[in-house]
Amino acid sequence: MAHSQDKSSALGQGVVIFVYLTVLTIIEYFVAVSFNATSLLIVVAIIKAALVMYYYMHIYKLNEADHGDEHSYAYKTGTNRLGLWLFLLSDGFVFAGLLVMRANLLGLTRPHLNQFLGLAVTAVLLISSFYMNRGETAMKYGDVKGFMRNTIITFVLGLGFLLGVVLVEWRMAAHEGLVASFGNPASGPLGGVFYMMTGMHAFHVFTGLIFLAVVWNNARKGVYTAEQHWGVEAAAVYWHFVDLVWIFFYPALYLIGTAVQ
Amino acid sequence: MGHFVIVGILVIVMTVLTYFGLDAAGLATQMHPVAASAQAAPIDQLWHWEVIVVSFLFSLIVVPMIYSLVVFRQKKGELKDGEHMEGNATLEIAWTVVPLIIVVIFAYLGAYSLGEVRRVDPNAMVINVTGQQFSWTFEYPEYGFISTELYLPIDKQVVLKMQSTDVIHSFWVPEFRVKQDVVPGRVTEYRITPTLEGSYKVRCAELCGTSHAYMENPVVVVSSDAYDAWVAEQIKIAEESKTPEGQGKVLATKYGCVGCHSADGSPLTGPTWFNLYGSEVKLADGSTVTADDAFIAQSILEPNATIVEGFPSPSVMPPYALTDEEIANLIAYIKTLK
Amino acid sequence: MKGFFSSALARGLFWQVIGTLVGAGLVTGIRALMGLSATDTFFFTEPAWVLGGFIGALSFLVGSGVTGDWIKWARGIDTPDHHEDHHTGWEKFVNVSLDHKVIGIQYTLVALVLISIGGLFALIFRTELAASELQFLTTDMKLFGQNGPQLYNTLMSLHGMVMIVSILLGIAGIINYVVPLLLGAQDMAFPRLNAFSFWIAVPAAVLLLSSLFLGGFDTGWTGYPPLSARAPVGMQMFFLGVFVAGWSSILGALNVLVTVVRMRAKGMTAMRMPIFVWASIATSLIALTATQFIGLAFQLVMFQRLFGMGFFDPAKGGNPVLFQHLFWFYSHPAVYVFILPGLGVISELLPVFVRKPLYGYRWIAMSSLGIALVGFVVWAHHMFTSGMNEYLRVPFMYSTLLVAVPTGVKFFSWVATLWKGKISTPTPMLFVLGGIVVFLMGGLSGPPNATVSTDLHLHDTYFIVGHFHDTIFGGFVFPFFAAIYYWFPKATGRKMNETLGKIHFWLMTPSFFVLTFGMMYIGLIGMRRRIADYDPALGIDTAHLILTISGFAIALSVLIFFYNFFVSIKNGEKAEGNLWNSRSPEWQVPSPMPVHNYDKPFEVVGEPYDYGLKDAGFVKFIEEPAKGKH
Repeated sequence: MAHSQDKSSALGQGVVIFVYLTVLTIIEYFVAVSFNATSLLIVVAIIKAALVMYYYMHIYKLNEADHGDEHSYAYKTGTNRLGLWLFLLSDGFVFAGLLVMRANLLGLTRPHLNQFLGLAVTAVLLISSFYMNRGETAMKYGDVKGFMRNTIITFVLGLGFLLGVVLVEWRMAAHEGLVASFGNPASGPLGGVFYMMTGMHAFHVFTGLIFLAVVWNNARKGVYTAEQHWGVEAAAVYWHFVDLVWIFFYPALYLIGTAVQ
Repeated sequence: MGHFVIVGILVIVMTVLTYFGLDAAGLATQMHPVAASAQAAPIDQLWHWEVIVVSFLFSLIVVPMIYSLVVFRQKKGELKDGEHMEGNATLEIAWTVVPLIIVVIFAYLGAYSLGEVRRVDPNAMVINVTGQQFSWTFEYPEYGFISTELYLPIDKQVVLKMQSTDVIHSFWVPEFRVKQDVVPGRVTEYRITPTLEGSYKVRCAELCGTSHAYMENPVVVVSSDAYDAWVAEQIKIAEESKTPEGQGKVLATKYGCVGCHSADGSPLTGPTWFNLYGSEVKLADGSTVTADDAFIAQSILEPNATIVEGFPSPSVMPPYALTDEEIANLIAYIKTLK
Repeated sequence: MKGFFSSALARGLFWQVIGTLVGAGLVTGIRALMGLSATDTFFFTEPAWVLGGFIGALSFLVGSGVTGDWIKWARGIDTPDHHEDHHTGWEKFVNVSLDHKVIGIQYTLVALVLISIGGLFALIFRTELAASELQFLTTDMKLFGQNGPQLYNTLMSLHGMVMIVSILLGIAGIINYVVPLLLGAQDMAFPRLNAFSFWIAVPAAVLLLSSLFLGGFDTGWTGYPPLSARAPVGMQMFFLGVFVAGWSSILGALNVLVTVVRMRAKGMTAMRMPIFVWASIATSLIALTATQFIGLAFQLVMFQRLFGMGFFDPAKGGNPVLFQHLFWFYSHPAVYVFILPGLGVISELLPVFVRKPLYGYRWIAMSSLGIALVGFVVWAHHMFTSGMNEYLRVPFMYSTLLVAVPTGVKFFSWVATLWKGKISTPTPMLFVLGGIVVFLMGGLSGPPNATVSTDLHLHDTYFIVGHFHDTIFGGFVFPFFAAIYYWFPKATGRKMNETLGKIHFWLMTPSFFVLTFGMMYIGLIGMRRRIADYDPALGIDTAHLILTISGFAIALSVLIFFYNFFVSIKNGEKAEGNLWNSRSPEWQVPSPMPVHNYDKPFEVVGEPYDYGLKDAGFVKFIEEPAKGKH
């Protein structure tokens, strides 16, 4: 892919990908509302995931040729990169397991949730990924201030997602009778599945925010340069991973199947 | 070449010895114990085939190993090298493909065997089985009575519809060979056609708590006539149990109380009911209380409220939400146990 | 002794206690403020123990110092790549070291401790089982809040899980010590992560064992709900302990995979890697991914207990069988994690003691990956009687039988390796050969479990217990001992005593045959698993007595091994050169292994197992440090 592009075209690419992701999300929402076509929703999720993995998480870098001997920074970064991706692969299995649980316990039903809120928090997370990409691109071209600025926006949006889910969504759901445990036996496992999935994801958002705070602070201290900023790349890729999980969890909880009370 | 011939002969000899050794221990032609169901036949037959193949494969590996250890030994103090053989593509393909074929054959035989075991007789009689900590109860819906013994007529298929009220148990009669878990929240099915008269035991085969080892009930296979006689007797008993005491006894069976509370004084998981009513009961906290109606009712509804001395705390017994009438009947029954 | 109290281990344990009290205290305080009950049978309530246990484990890690460098990085402070170890002697092993060789030994030592504890539990309940009727674990005895049968269930369950954790640590021990040496690397790719992966296993083991003192649990190591949802508090400690231990496994596997991809010597192409590296790859692929499923399954039961989320509670619309699917999706591949390294040790050592190439090296390498892959699609063979959908039974039978094919490739290749060799049998080789035969017995007792109809009889009987003890001893325990006897000189510069080694082998092996044949026999007769007492009418009292005696004989042989191990460290016969005349790179440098492994890097110039071929070296040491790409 175009590694040797200049800064403005790199930023531009980020914008283009964001537009694609937005359009796909809108398609996803309307397909769900109009047709309830599970397989189509899964296909759209996979396409979104592929875009994020390729353009935002730049997975192709795993295949890059190594420059320098095995003690060079570049080589060590390649090693670190492989380690990070294996970690994400492993973590991915947790979320895959949660999806299996959801499929087994709920089948083609889903909890009755506020669709506007669902779409809103999804948009917030997607936009945060956009700004994360901008931040990482800035750092790639040595623009530390630009990185810091975009990271703060990412952080605020991420925090917004977290509070939106935990403070607003959870309260609303509980209020409507979607309880984790006792209280409404009729809600069956719907509550447990909903809180478990959103809870595990929220935990990862939370750790992602900590990660962002750490690299933002280190950038402020001047630790990173255009040539050496592995911490930034790692934080960004992790952040996009958290978005990636939500790309599957959003349809799984809000769109697929018929809502039951 | 010579080595291969000798090894080949030894492998055959060892296979035969292994097979007959297992046969002498009674383990080759059938599983254990004695087979008592129609379903056991395909199972035991498959086992027999497997023992034959296993005897061969065991010999095929162990004989060349031991032969090599003896014949191709490094002499003490020497450091010679062995023959430089890296591999042989044909051989390696062969020993991948041939086992693959054998595996597929056994899988097919296994599927066939399972099909035989699960063969459905549309006229099979239904018996409802409930597993709970720590006893089995058997309800005969055709006649409307409940029993703690599973009586079965010979040579007729029965289908057990099984459920659990608490945790996972498993229904197993070794002589029948078939085993099936009993899972709360669903009904599992167990089809069996007993073929040998006798007294057997069904024992729980999935760890279900402290007294799992003792969760067993009798299984009796009798002739058609004897079975009909038993059914008639059970119906009579059920009729006579219309009294409160009789109903209480039925409840004690239905809810599995008899699994932990003996009627005759023998020590089981819970306190015996023999001579219980009206007696002075010593509690774990040192106090004494009279075993009256209120005490017994509370012990059923809230088992953890009082713990009898010598029994575990927290109580192993779950609460039973019985109606006032059911409790009254149980108490009436308990009163008769003197 | 002063050295111990200032060690990372002591600090970690101290902080684990503090952390546990803080976490538990926090929950207790909040509960009291909310008007909920603040105390329970074991003082703290269950949620308090759970949070306390979790915070305790984290506190151990921070307190021990193993997270020190990472905390510095988070603050933007750089740290040197290599940390010189100032500790000498035994103190090295109770402190944080980034040296993979020290970490490998640390893993091995903890594994041996856990084997002893797990073995002790087995000896206790085997003594009870020696005769029918309860002898000493009776209903009137009480220990740690449990009566005899409850204690039996706890000891039996812990025996299983403690042994499993000891296996995971044992394989980590061998892999961590040996893999970088085989690859020509100075260390693992992520030395700090490596130290972390080791040290996290210590609080995990503490949590696991604490279950014994917190009311125990009665579910067996498999922890099935609904029973596990209503078991005592000890159940949560079990779940938490395993959850934390899982991270050790996952992160360790990650490290191995990256090391193999990124840190191989010049010229070491995939097909020129020592076979043990292939085994480590296969094992690590499974451990990296599947482990998350047992973490998830246990976490769901923990949350069902803590928050009433009815995942596996039918009364709340949950599904008990879902747990089994999630659990076994890890726990079956897990057994391949247990045995693939051991089978790799067998493949690695055979050529050395047979003086000829590993027959069919490529196919053996691929068979490890094959087993790992097929191992992912067989899990429901543990659930044939579970009440899951009937149509699932036949496909899983096919896939289960299929594993026999790559496994068979290994056996045939081993036999062909022995054939026409020049075989010597020092102790490591004895354990290799014993491992092959015992694993064969385990493998051959597999098909009756794989074919569904026969499994309906065998499931949950001692036949299964015999089957897996055979596969585990053959695939792990015997090769583990082989590896220790083999690489002990590399680590210490001294040999373990050969006579004691032979006594260990000849006492353990026949006892083990008797034990496992006996188990399969009584299982066939009708002896169920996981029961403290059995019917004398089954006529297996004598068999049980023999099994108990065999168990004690095995324990005695292990004690002899321990004696040999610890005495040989200081007093073993010196062995500073290529003791086994191996072609492998680590034996081309003196023993004990130099701190930075290879002062001169090496280049791979031939095949690893070309014994018997003239002028066919495997590695050549490069006079100048190599510059250039891989």
